[in-house]
Order: sequence, then structure tokens, then C-alpha cells
Amino acid sequence: MERQIINKRKRVFSLQPNKNPNALFTRRYVSHLVPALKKINMNKSSSKTNHQSFEKTVKHEVDMAFALSAQEFAWSRFLQQKLLSSPHDDLISTSSSPSEILERSSKKQGGEKHQDRDEEGGEIKKRLKELQKLLPGGEEMNMEEILSEIGSYIVCLELQMIVLKSIVQDNTS
Amino acid sequence: MLEGLVSQESLSLNSMDMSVLERLKWVHQQQQQLQQVVSHSSNNSPELLQILQFHGSNNDELLESSFSQFQMLGSGFGPNYNMGFGPPHECISRTSSCHMEPVDTMEVLLKTGEETRAIALKNKRKPEVKTREEQKTEKKIKVEAETESSMKGKSNMGNTEASSDTSKETSKGASENQKLDYIHVRARRGQATDRHSLAERARREKISKKMKYLQDIVPGCNKVTGKAGMLDEIINYVQCLQRQVEFLSMKLAVLNPELELAVEDVSVKQFQAYFANVVASKQSIMVDVPLFPLDQQGSLDLSAINPNQTTSIEAPSASWETQSQSLYNTSSLGFHY
Repeated sequence: MERQIINKRKRVFSLQPNKNPNALFTRRYVSHLVPALKKINMNKSSSKTNHQSFEKTVKHEVDMAFALSAQEFAWSRFLQQKLLSSPHDDLISTSSSPSEILERSSKKQGGEKHQDRDEEGGEIKKRLKELQKLLPGGEEMNMEEILSEIGSYIVCLELQMIVLKSIVQDNTS
Repeated sequence: MLEGLVSQESLSLNSMDMSVLERLKWVHQQQQQLQQVVSHSSNNSPELLQILQFHGSNNDELLESSFSQFQMLGSGFGPNYNMGFGPPHECISRTSSCHMEPVDTMEVLLKTGEETRAIALKNKRKPEVKTREEQKTEKKIKVEAETESSMKGKSNMGNTEASSDTSKETSKGASENQKLDYIHVRARRGQATDRHSLAERARREKISKKMKYLQDIVPGCNKVTGKAGMLDEIINYVQCLQRQVEFLSMKLAVLNPELELAVEDVSVKQFQAYFANVVASKQSIMVDVPLFPLDQQGSLDLSAINPNQTTSIEAPSASWETQSQSLYNTSSLGFHY
């Protein structure tokens, strides 16, 4: 009884829950994704069951929901455009494998003794190019914009991860 | 309290025949007063202690930021560290409006006899005790000469720096008041003061701010130093996340036929999982305001939710807990454009 009272005191909810941007994103994402998945489910029974194309459509819907739920950012608009123009391309591709990155870092350690400053500028530019490839719409942004957009992109990716995990876990357990 | 200091300042600076030594003494008095005031009003917050330390070292840039925070404190806004380096404009205009009179008179006097004043200052500099101030005045006169040819707003800043060579508060207040849409960067000692390098420096500072913000977000960035290493980590992390999204969507595609999806159900459970991470970490939740720059109005105080709310979903692995912790971590920097 006491514990309940204590817990009640601890419970403080915000007056405006809708303004929390992370919750906002997740709510939008869920509201986009779930009906889309339901639709796919319904259509699947009618159309041919091609596993690969089915995967692609699911992926497409996932990306679409992602792009639609974060309208404030430039990358989401770019992503939307890409998705609408070419719906079945492999959008999120791993451009550089982890082995490449390891190579680069070892090179950097070796070259550090020699030209420090010169190498550094080039190294940073290389990495920025990589980042540009990863971020949707990154090709057309300069360094500052990339840095600011990447922050929001990462957070939204994490939130998307949480949603997808919970959906998957819901249905496996 | 601030107005008292300002009025004293305006009175003393109106009389131009005050010698440099007297001005030095007066400024030291000012600083002492400020320090006293700050120490009285400081509530052991680390930022104010910083102010005290840096007052002694006469570090211009930090003084600027610390003074803005001090102004916020004095006006009763309270230390608002999460607001970043953008001080509220009304606050500054209130205090700096008193600065306008001495600035104007000084500007007029300067424009009439600029060279003679420069020579006079150089002559007066001999009895000066401190050599550091001497170097500063030299540099400031150079600044004045350079900026005299540029626009009026900037030349005001340069002039006030040279004329009130030891009273930094007036120049700072004037520069803040003039043309608030310019980004004012104070040149440190020994650094170039032409417009290009100033702009460069402002740009670099913006970039480093953003890098710090990313460091908070991306886990594991603290161990690596330097831009390249951090960018590496960020690239790795983004790739990781993207791969995981792919994997999960594939899994979803596999499961899809058996999905029992009810929208309300999913959202409720998802939020439980979502908040369970945060509750498990037992931190107070304050979401980053700068993440959504269009949504600056929202006050985002979401306190800890009742931990009794048990969820059927297990908390994910440790790595995920830390990541979602970082989602909610307060970062003191804001991206104010």
C-alpha cells in the first residue's frame, strides 16, 4: 500500500505528451507501418507468393514509413523522393564493408608519424564522402548540413529499430 | 545590480581625459565587484565557477559566453544551460541599452581624431605597468584601423574595443546590441582578425559543436579522439543501424503472414518497451530540443514513468539499453542557427 503511494508520487506525466519529438516520431512510424503491413498481408493472399518480391515490398513499406514519419528533416524528403521514383531498388546498401574501414584506420595509424596535417584533411574528406553515401540526399549537402542531418538520422534509425524489434518480438513470443 | 555597474561605467567613460592607468584601476575594481557579485549569487554551479576562473585570465570569448549566462542569471531567468549559447535577446538589450551613450560619444570622438588618439594612446602607454594590456591595445588599434574601412556595425565593434581598451563589458554589450543577425566572434590574442579568418573560425566552431553533439549520440565515440576517428565511428554506427533495419524488415517479411497486428496494441506495447529501457536506466528524461529544430517551442519534460508498469517484453540487451539511454541524455549544446 505504501509502495503504491510512493509510486504514485513518482509518476509524473508530461502535460503535452505529443510534443516529445521521439515519441512523435515513433507514433507516426507505427501509424504508417502497421496499416501498410496489414495491406500487404491482405494483398499477399491474392497475388503470387514470390518471397523475394514480398520481402522487397515489406522493405519498401518500412522505408516509406520511415521517410514519412520524419518530415522535418531534409534526408526524409530525399528518401521519400527516391522511394517514390524507384520503388524496388535496394536503397539502404552497405557501401563500404567493415574490412575497408579497418584498412583505413590502420593506414591512418601508420601514416600518422609522417604527414600528420596533410593526411588528416584527406582522411576526413574520405570519411565525409562515405557519410554522404550513407545518408539519403547526402550527395547534395555540404559538410555542415551533413553533420546536422546525421544526428537526426541516427536517432530516427534507432527509434525505428525499437519499433521493428517490438513488432517482431510481439509475434515471435 | 547590473544597472548600477553600467551607470558607473557610463559616467566614468564619458570623460575622455581619464588616464589609462586610472581606467585600468577602475576596470579592476569592476572585475572585483563582478566577482563578488557572482560568488554571492552562484549556487555552486560549475558554469559560474568557470566564470570566476576565466575572469582572472581575461579570456575574451569565454567572457562573452559567461557574461551572457551571468546576464541571464541577473535578470532572473535562471541558469538555463540547455539553451546553449543563444542568450535571450531582451535580456541583452536591456543591459546594453545603457551602453549606447558612451559608445556614441566615443565613436564620435574617435572619428574626429583617430590618428591623434592612436598616437596619444601610444604615448600614454609608457607609464603602463602591465605589458599584457599593452599588447592588447596594440592589437586593438590594429583592429580598429582595419575595421574602420568596413561596415558601420562592425566598425563600431572595433572602435569600442580600441577606445574602451580595458573595459570589455561595454564593447561586448555594444557589439551584442548592434546588428544581432551577425555572428560575433571575438578574436583571441595573437590570432588573425580579418574577416575571412573570423568567418572561418565561426564555421569551425559550429562544426565542432555538431561533432560534440554526435559524440553524445553515437555510443563509443568518447574513446576516439579527432575528427577522422569519430567520423569512422559514426559511419560504422550508421551502417550497423541500417543493416539491422534490413535484417528486421526481412524478419518481419518472414513473419508477416502470421502477424496479428492491432494498431493500438502495437503502439501501447511498443511504448512500454520504449519506456522500459529508460526506466531501467533510472534517468530523468529530458529530450533534446535541438533535435527537431522546427519544434523549438515544446517544453519537453517527460519525467520517469511509474516503474511498476511491468511489460511483457523483455528489456533488450545491454548495448540497446545504452543506446536508448543516449537517446534521452541531456546534451547541453543546442543547435541554434
